[in-house]
Amino acid sequence: MSEKKTKQALDRRGFLKVASLGSAAAAASVAPGLVTPAQAYNPGNEETKARYRETDHVKAYYRTNSY
Amino acid sequence: MARMKFLCDADRCIECNACVTACKNENEVPWGINRRRVVTINDGKPGERSISMACMHCTDAPCAAVCPVDCFYVTVDKVVLHSKDLCIGCGYCFYACPFGAPQYPKVGNFGSRGKMDKCTFCAGGPEADLSPAEFQKYGSNRLAEGKLPLCAEMCSTKSLLAGDGDIIAKIYKERVVKRGYGSGAWGWKTAYKETVAI
Repeated sequence: MSEKKTKQALDRRGFLKVASLGSAAAAASVAPGLVTPAQAYNPGNEETKARYRETDHVKAYYRTNSY
Repeated sequence: MARMKFLCDADRCIECNACVTACKNENEVPWGINRRRVVTINDGKPGERSISMACMHCTDAPCAAVCPVDCFYVTVDKVVLHSKDLCIGCGYCFYACPFGAPQYPKVGNFGSRGKMDKCTFCAGGPEADLSPAEFQKYGSNRLAEGKLPLCAEMCSTKSLLAGDGDIIAKIYKERVVKRGYGSGAWGWKTAYKETVAI
């Protein structure tokens, strides 16, 4: 009985060993060209363009606030 | 090039909260979020002052500095905006902001608060100007319409000023000279440090 248990335990450990080796190999086998570094959000010119304009509406706001 | 700024003349603010209401209505801000708030100091005591507070669109924005996904960007008008598509709702910007501007739709821990929401200076977001998608995520884009933020435009006592920083600073200086006193442009030293290059 105890022999059987020991054998089962060894089998399990063996599986874990093989699995860990396999995952390490998989990680190492990823081609360096496929790994892209993280990039910051780079909005385009359209998103960051100036929207403020000194329209008549805005001029009226400045004028009425000047007192 | 004009640099957009907010300035609250604390000697004129009467804590009516109309700026808060106008902002919520104009931008259809969800429940639980106030992009603008009125803070009263020394309430009920001599020297009581009220200040209307929202995102100040800082020169060197601390929210952008701490964002782990870099979802913030600054427009040519120096308005600090963010992309809700990238935001992960971590809450770092809330802790970094000296004005408590970033808000979240849900109460929760890391990642369960929902997308951050804050004042956009009524300048929308990264979506196409005046598109339904932009309005749904960020509210109205009054700057693209040739207008200024509604909170400032409808202030009954003309306490809240918004627009070109040079012009509103001139307006405020004239007021201080005329009445002989002023409690200072609150938050300007924190938000628009002169030592930081724009």
